[in-house]
Amino acid sequence: MHAGIKPLGGERWWLVVLLFPTMIGLLFGALGSVLATIVISLLNWDLITPPTWAGFANYTSLLSDTLFLRAMRITVLFSLAYVPGTIILSLLIALLLNRKLFGLSLFRTIYFLPTVSSAVAVGLVWSWIYGRERGLLNYLLSFVGIAPINWLGSQNALWSIVIVNIWGALGTGMVIFLAGLQAIPREYYEAGSLDGAVGWKAFRYITLPLITPSIFFQTIITTVHAFQAFEYVYVLTRTANGASNAPTLVYSIYRNGFNFFRMGTASAQAIVLALMILLLTLCYFWLERRLVVYD
Amino acid sequence: MRAPEELAVWNAIVEAFHAANPNIRVKVEVSDWDSYWDKLKTLYAGGTPPDVFAMDAPLYPDWQSRGVLLNMQPYIDATPGMFDDIYPNTLTAYKRDDGYYGLPRDFQTVVLYYNKDMFDEAQLPYPDESWTYEKLREVAKALTKDVDGDGIIDQFGFSPDLWDMETFWSSALWSHGAEVISEDYSKTLLGEPKAREVWRYIAAMVLEDKSVPTPAVSAEYGGDPFAAGRSAMAMSGHWVVPEYAQLDFAWDVAPMPSGPAGRFTSVNSAGFVIAKDSKNPDAAWEFVKFAVGKEGQQRLTELGFAIPVLKSIAESSTFLEQQSAPIKHQIFLDAMEYARPKPTFAGYEEWASIIGDGLVPVWNDEQDLDSTLDEIVPAADEVLAR
Repeated sequence: MHAGIKPLGGERWWLVVLLFPTMIGLLFGALGSVLATIVISLLNWDLITPPTWAGFANYTSLLSDTLFLRAMRITVLFSLAYVPGTIILSLLIALLLNRKLFGLSLFRTIYFLPTVSSAVAVGLVWSWIYGRERGLLNYLLSFVGIAPINWLGSQNALWSIVIVNIWGALGTGMVIFLAGLQAIPREYYEAGSLDGAVGWKAFRYITLPLITPSIFFQTIITTVHAFQAFEYVYVLTRTANGASNAPTLVYSIYRNGFNFFRMGTASAQAIVLALMILLLTLCYFWLERRLVVYD
Repeated sequence: MRAPEELAVWNAIVEAFHAANPNIRVKVEVSDWDSYWDKLKTLYAGGTPPDVFAMDAPLYPDWQSRGVLLNMQPYIDATPGMFDDIYPNTLTAYKRDDGYYGLPRDFQTVVLYYNKDMFDEAQLPYPDESWTYEKLREVAKALTKDVDGDGIIDQFGFSPDLWDMETFWSSALWSHGAEVISEDYSKTLLGEPKAREVWRYIAAMVLEDKSVPTPAVSAEYGGDPFAAGRSAMAMSGHWVVPEYAQLDFAWDVAPMPSGPAGRFTSVNSAGFVIAKDSKNPDAAWEFVKFAVGKEGQQRLTELGFAIPVLKSIAESSTFLEQQSAPIKHQIFLDAMEYARPKPTFAGYEEWASIIGDGLVPVWNDEQDLDSTLDEIVPAADEVLAR
């Protein structure tokens, strides 16, 4: 927020001490990896023999790499469905659970459960739900006369994966929106109701503007997550030879680096991915100045 | 590498090795087959490769061509009679003009597995060497049924792996006079007219007869409907025997069927290689020699996964009369006579994924066969051209 708390006197010293461990981790872990990735992206390296200089060849070859372009397209489609889907649904759930309700904490726990569950274990359960002939979903659909659908096949895998990822992200989104909703002073609604702002109008003119900081934060976080989607893709859509029915960019990076002896290409793809996230984040910050309301 | 049984066996082999070579210490590391390759590459990247490590023959060219493996030829020359007892078919994959950069430690031939109970119930004779691919299709169709009458097939006639050439389609192609890849490994031949006939034969079983489960359905049975008791026949190597020995139905093995061009199967091996930069090449060689020698091979055979490369052990009671699985193990050895080595070439993993995974939508009835082949064959050739 713009009006932060300024540390004073002895607090400053403590600030440095307490931030130190995290900064060390960031400096050597994150920053070190970023620098290493940039360097490796300029090399031809198969991991097992000494690398040679490649210049920008790893980048230029991406333009004609059909598997990379496919991964790019899938990642963009994935994000276009996942980001709005996650934000709208988790906001709806937060609105529903932001009231006095019987079994409130039970519902909050249920929605938060995917966040704390292992992606691999959860992925296995979803693979049963999505099963072609023994799956739960096709079984339920059979009652309304819908023929079995191959949910994880080449045609539907992307959307099936989007659903699982949205489901997995609802818990975190809900918590962030609940915090935002509960920070809105009750007086605003009382004052609004005198002027006739109830129901939809109260949401549109009181709630929505006041939770724009939460929406903004959620948009950035889910976008980053969308571009990094990997676990459910790996568990649910991996085909027998290691390819995927919905190969995202991170999946492509993994394949190039570890399966195809092309660490340079993998690193170049990682840099492109990072630049895309950076660019989008800058766009969001530009939008923030226009749309986000801080009181 | 299948822990933990395999770790126990390797520790036993290493113990025996230590007893014979008190000056050499071997540290065994075992991991599952998938993460094994990631780990190996990471060790290489970190400059600390293991002295001796396992190699899958199809991946050998990718490693050998990068010059990171030790040429064992000087050691082999100094060991008279080294190859006398080894099946020659298993050696070819490791041979290069200037010598061997790896040696096979065990091998796999693919044969036909069948569920005796299902054949008995249908009162059909068991598969034998008279079988053709037409007969296979016919019997597979006869054994396919909807047992509980809910409109969904729950007993399939035949469930081969369609994702990899080794267990079914390379043999089917060869038996019909088609080829997988050109002799110089520069051109994928899976789109040739003769190969397309075989693809259509397979597609007819999957999509018309429905006697072969689609990959999506197969996945619902853990990828192996035969082991799940849902399929009357399968094709596989010896590696499934320890697992199948635990099954609660009767099963056995039969020779591969024959086609218009004869009878073929696939032979593939796992081997040992030595890192070129190993600091202890002599000790590493001693271990490789021990592992492919009589004592190592004997122990490895007791594990039950694979066939020993030493003829004398393969033809001994250790292999032929394995207590855990009283099946006709001789069928695997007989298969050597009509086996062709699984093709191995640089870029194998990427090529196999383009082909194997590329065909999955066809078997799932999501894409047309011919247009898919027109698309994946050139893509596979691009990998070969690198």
